Amino acid sequence: MEVLKTKDLVVGYKDKAILPPINVSLNEGSMIALIGPNGAGKSTLFKTLTAHIKAVSGEIELFGKELHSYSAKEKATLIGLVLTERPDDMFLKVYDVVASGRCPYTNFFGKMRDEDETIIKDSLEIVGIEHLTERYFSALSDGERQKVMIAKTIAQNTPIIFMDEPTAFIDYPSKIELFNLMKRLCKEQNKTIVFSSHDLELLLRYTDDIWIVSKGKELISSSKDNLLDKGIIREYFNLKEDIKI
Amino acid sequence: MSRNKLNISIIIGLIILGTILFILNLFVGSVSIPFRDLFDVIFGDDGNSTVRTIVYEYRLPQAITALLAGAALSVAGLLMQTLFRNPLADPSMLGVSSGSSLGVAVTILLTGILGKSALSSFGLWSNIGVSLAAFLGATLVLMLILGFSSRVRNMTTLIIIGLMISYLSGSITDILKFFSMKEDIHAFVIWGMGTFSAVGPSKILFFSVCIIIGLFVSLFLCKNLNILLLGDLYAENLGLNVKRNNIIIILVSGYLTAIVTAYCGPIAFLGLAIPHLTRFIFRSSDHRTLIPATMLIGMIVSMFCNLVARMPGFEGNLPINAVTAFIGAPIVIWVIFKKNN
Repeated sequence: MEVLKTKDLVVGYKDKAILPPINVSLNEGSMIALIGPNGAGKSTLFKTLTAHIKAVSGEIELFGKELHSYSAKEKATLIGLVLTERPDDMFLKVYDVVASGRCPYTNFFGKMRDEDETIIKDSLEIVGIEHLTERYFSALSDGERQKVMIAKTIAQNTPIIFMDEPTAFIDYPSKIELFNLMKRLCKEQNKTIVFSSHDLELLLRYTDDIWIVSKGKELISSSKDNLLDKGIIREYFNLKEDIKI
Repeated sequence: MSRNKLNISIIIGLIILGTILFILNLFVGSVSIPFRDLFDVIFGDDGNSTVRTIVYEYRLPQAITALLAGAALSVAGLLMQTLFRNPLADPSMLGVSSGSSLGVAVTILLTGILGKSALSSFGLWSNIGVSLAAFLGATLVLMLILGFSSRVRNMTTLIIIGLMISYLSGSITDILKFFSMKEDIHAFVIWGMGTFSAVGPSKILFFSVCIIIGLFVSLFLCKNLNILLLGDLYAENLGLNVKRNNIIIILVSGYLTAIVTAYCGPIAFLGLAIPHLTRFIFRSSDHRTLIPATMLIGMIVSMFCNLVARMPGFEGNLPINAVTAFIGAPIVIWVIFKKNN
């Protein structure tokens, strides 16, 4: 099933396009990597697809409806977000962060019902951090914080999740753990995950499709095998030999 | 003991402490009142009429002013710290108090210059006028700061901008003073030193109602403030209209600061120190705990400061700002020290 689709989408800031029109679509349960050099427009594309900034022109369809026709609350139940920015409040607990994922569903005062508590508990378990529940967020390692933010997004219960460089700043074993987790979410929970990353070697092992952006060039969207066969990735990264997976 | 139970015992302890301080505020002062007389005055018996006057005309309004002003400034500080996600944000640091001061200066001094008689002699309307001017000054500065904050990511820069705005409004105030009449300047200088005694029995009701409304409204901001702790983008992704929410927080904190500043003068350090103290006591970042707890601790510290300022043996009152800074500054140093360890 198609969850998101763009039609001649032009992204940029203040009417200034930074990439040629984009035509891509996302299928339910797929895991897509967005790669490209810094400054090529990855963040702008993410912010546009998650409705934080307006597109210069073109359309974004979310479940067959124009993205901006959804209310803020509806959007909050459809698209989840994991960023590189981290909350830095000293006394913010892991539980508080994950619980915040429930706020599109709770009342005016943010009162948690039993149902919300169950979902929070499940989210912590899925990510494997239930032992951190009562810990302060600021005291965790980068890898653990990343998991907490993912647990928040699971509690938010959105079919689509966008992750901005989820594997940046974390050590190699944690990166593998994180990729396994993302893959598991796509397979078992049917989530659609789009993430940006520079960990080419790892993401080639895990993803289904890859989007490539480069400054001013057209976005390439293709299956990983296709990309490898045609040598696009080699060309793109100026490698002398093909990558063997 | 679980955190919840611990918090409840802390709150009960604080309420007892607050009650004791409130009674001490009625009891202690330049004229010492025997406990029996105070008891008689409070609990029906007519008692001594001089004692009655002292308690009802002076000490009770002053204690209530201290209590409400402390709560209001502390909550305003908490709102600003969460809004700017900056531990140094507070009404005086960001230039909000001086914005209110400028508003007050304009009404007191400019009407004096233009109309040959200061607005300060016009009763209730001048109360509303001065409060409104203080509110306009405060919100104007907050809007300016918020405008800058969307462009400057660095929080230190923002604090420096706040300080510069303080100097700017201070300089405009000084220029106004230069052209004003002596009596008006005198009134303004006295006001500027900060005091909890200026509200008095005639204005205490109006003052209390204004503050209680502001505090009550702040209780409704808990959920949004909690989401805001995650950062603007996360908050927006969770369905919060960040821009509208920021404006509401600014209006509420500006309003609370403005009312207190209009009646008590610019009071420093309570807004900065109390939210930190509260976070450390309750070890929480949940505003459903923090807002009521900040009010409570703000009341207590403020009443304590008022008591210190009025210790028997002093001729008259110490300027309240001297006391709040003396108590507040070490708290802030302690918090920053703890945070870096």
